[in-house]
Amino acid sequence: MSLKAFHIFFILVSTAFALGFGGWALREYARDGGLGMLATGAGSCLSSVALAVYGVWFLRKLKHVSYL
Amino acid sequence: MTDTHPNGSPGAREAHGGGHGETSFLWKYVFSQDHKVIGIQYGITGLCFLFFGFTLMMLMRWQLAYPNQPLPWPWLAELLGNIRAPGGVLEAGFYNQLGAMHGTIMVFLGVVPIAVGAFGNYVVPLQIGAPDMAFPKLNMASYWVYFCGGVIMLASFFVPGGAASSGWTSYPPLSNIATQGQTWWLVGMVFLITSSLLGSVNFIVTIVQMRAPGLSMFRLPFFVWAQLVTAFLLLLAFPPLEAAGVLQLMDRVFGTSFFLPSGLVVNAIPYAQTTGYSGGGSALLWQHLFWFLAHPEVYVLILPAMGIVAEIVANNTRKPLWGYRLLVYAAIFLGFMSFIVWAHHMFMTGMGTVMSTFFQTTTMIISIPSVIILTCMILSLWGGSIRFSIPMLFALAFLPMFAIGGLTGLPLGLTLSDLHLHDTYYVIGHFHYVVAPGTIMALFAGIYYWYPKVTGRKMSGLLGHLHFWPTLILMNSIFMPMFFMGMAGLNRRMYDQTVYVHGRGVQPLSLMVSWSAWMLAVAQIPFIINFFKSWKAGEKVNDNPWEATTLEWAAPSPPPHGNFTTLPEVHRGPYEYSVPGQSGDFCPQHARPDSASEGTPSAPPVPAAH
Amino acid sequence: MSTAIPWSVKPHPVTGIPNAKLGIWLFLASEVMLFGALFSSYILIRTGSEQWPMGRTILNIPLATLNTVILITSSVTMVMAWASLKMNQFGKFKLFQTLTILLALGFMVVKAFEYGGKLHHYEVTLVEGSEAADKAGALKITGHIDHATAGNGGAITSWIRSRDDLHDGKISFVADPPAGSHEHPAAIELAAEDMERLTFFGPHRDTFFAVYFTLTGLHGIHVLGGIVVLLYFLLPGSRMWRTDPERFTGRIECTGLYWHFVDLVWIFLFPTLYLL
Repeated sequence: MSLKAFHIFFILVSTAFALGFGGWALREYARDGGLGMLATGAGSCLSSVALAVYGVWFLRKLKHVSYL
Repeated sequence: MTDTHPNGSPGAREAHGGGHGETSFLWKYVFSQDHKVIGIQYGITGLCFLFFGFTLMMLMRWQLAYPNQPLPWPWLAELLGNIRAPGGVLEAGFYNQLGAMHGTIMVFLGVVPIAVGAFGNYVVPLQIGAPDMAFPKLNMASYWVYFCGGVIMLASFFVPGGAASSGWTSYPPLSNIATQGQTWWLVGMVFLITSSLLGSVNFIVTIVQMRAPGLSMFRLPFFVWAQLVTAFLLLLAFPPLEAAGVLQLMDRVFGTSFFLPSGLVVNAIPYAQTTGYSGGGSALLWQHLFWFLAHPEVYVLILPAMGIVAEIVANNTRKPLWGYRLLVYAAIFLGFMSFIVWAHHMFMTGMGTVMSTFFQTTTMIISIPSVIILTCMILSLWGGSIRFSIPMLFALAFLPMFAIGGLTGLPLGLTLSDLHLHDTYYVIGHFHYVVAPGTIMALFAGIYYWYPKVTGRKMSGLLGHLHFWPTLILMNSIFMPMFFMGMAGLNRRMYDQTVYVHGRGVQPLSLMVSWSAWMLAVAQIPFIINFFKSWKAGEKVNDNPWEATTLEWAAPSPPPHGNFTTLPEVHRGPYEYSVPGQSGDFCPQHARPDSASEGTPSAPPVPAAH
Repeated sequence: MSTAIPWSVKPHPVTGIPNAKLGIWLFLASEVMLFGALFSSYILIRTGSEQWPMGRTILNIPLATLNTVILITSSVTMVMAWASLKMNQFGKFKLFQTLTILLALGFMVVKAFEYGGKLHHYEVTLVEGSEAADKAGALKITGHIDHATAGNGGAITSWIRSRDDLHDGKISFVADPPAGSHEHPAAIELAAEDMERLTFFGPHRDTFFAVYFTLTGLHGIHVLGGIVVLLYFLLPGSRMWRTDPERFTGRIECTGLYWHFVDLVWIFLFPTLYLL
């Protein structure tokens, strides 16, 4: 598995993590309030979108590199 | 990897960097990157440690045979000093150090380095027709890290409080509160684990990537398969022990409580209150992590030995191994199963009947591939015209010895009978039958078998017989009585068994074991003489003295740097002995199909013996 | 025959990869077993304990979040460094490699602040029925030591492990602000005889901190190792680009695989320790 393949995997995991962390922070906000948690949750959800977009861009950029 | 490199000419330089061109003594023999030199380094260091570990045990046997009597030689007591042997009598704490270090040294510094480090390093690249290991520098690092680990272990005898004394298993909480030597033990183990990690990566890559043209996986000699499975076991089973070692180091150095349960009382004093420990750890956690390594470790000890024996059996029966593919599948299955049997060492810990039943079942299952391997080798003898050479004698001895070791393990794998036998001399007898008359006999076989390849000379047959027969008999008279002592209920790791009535009852057996052990040391003298004398004065032989088929015999003896004079090409399986319709009784893997019937390049055709 | 090692640069025709890439993956497999064993130990200790603190109540989530962002970014710069070599842009490689190293160093600096906060944070267990306990209204208070005097008059450093280190001295203790507030209560004087136990939030404090320091510490060592390798390939190791670019690209790829693994471990460590 090349670095390209591992990087795709890594970005997938990071996206899932960012989504999960965002969800966690928003739940904390819903329970205890606090603008910090709201900002963290929103920021994290947004970064998960950004990571997904980056992943697609990366795939396009390294189209000619093997997965092996 | 698709390379879209515009400026680098692809494959411009396949050579690797490194000091292969250096010729000074230091680079050629000390910091060598040649797998053959490293193999010999491993072999000689391992043999020294094997002898040292044996010496520790011989000291223990004095205390067991003649409890609380001064050592027979005053100079020995003087050498040990007043702390270790006050008045010439072995001190109880020092006895514990001897026991712990005997186990550690024999397993991690003696047998595994010889079986994997020495034989694996020397023979595997030759048998697959490769010029060297895939990562020569890593190979050198692996040896030197192992060497440092060994030095740390030896040095621990001289720190205050002496070496580790909590058994080779280092069970906490005892090991957590032991003296400084235990910390040295842990650091030494981290070195040894690192070494075997480097080695195992190297072996797998070498075997997967560097086989000679035509050498498909199912044309590999069984020895190479055994080493491949072993390397995977080392790669994946050792890290959990490293984790355990890190946790215990944290406990001992930074005062954590991974293995210290709440409410621990030492010498009638609550431990946490006096030392500031928080408690809340689990002593059982160590056992899980330790045995997750140490059970696969058993197969690390036995698989290379099986590989050696397979080579020698095929060569000396002059017929193909019976069930080659079955052997390979059994070895792979054995490797896989060895990861899920570890808790059969822990039936007595109260981990629960469900767990015990699971591990009892997997333990019974893992005995199947072991029996398959043994059966294949015994069936290989059937109808062969056996050459009773010295290596073959040791290989033949391995078969029943390993069978005894394996079969006596079954009562230990069943929870019910294990309740009685756990932690008795029966266990000692069982695993020593696997490792000592089993693996060590196979290692001797390997030394006698590949000695001509390493030196170009054969070891003496007369001295070989003088070595083999006493060794075989004495190994049995050491370990067989242990079964009876164990069944009589005698616990292992006891300083003085005569304090118990049942211990006094089997004391004559203990005497017999001790005397056999000391005589076993004497029986190694012919081997030592043979080993060193034959290096320069042994009978000179050709490149293929055993008329063997595998690739290592296609190289000159001793093989030069880079191993082969011409790149070997493989045309057939590993054990083409006595193929019907051919004039010679063996057909090397590298012989071209058309020329095979006219004999081989290095040896004249020999008529089939049957 | 020369001693050239086959397939050390070119991919093997059957496996499709060169030796080093297989080697680094095997090494990572053993690393998975190492961290897997530690995560399993964590689960075993946690399920076996009577109570377990929620990480978010004692650990610093903002700092850890910052570190997560840093590490994910460093993976991106790492892969860009490798891609630059693939596209034969050595200058860009140097830029991205430097960025990766700076981010890794940044991670360690943040980590040092996080550790420092824990090592200067104390918990006092007061003697039951003592005057100090009555005043504080609780037996256990956490906070930091404003200043301390030992029996011999010398100041005590933050490495006090227990109240025994105080001899007969006193400490001036500032308790943590109560939940929801940011104002520290006034400092109180505590004498050695008032205290049952005085300890900082180090690995020895309880099994939670033992797990926290061991896992993050081992991960930190991996980051440090990565920094050393990255620096080597940025400075002396990069000379190989001129003599053997293909091999050098392969080396950067292996470094990248290791670096991605280290970052991946953090992505699992963060929620396990801080959020769950």
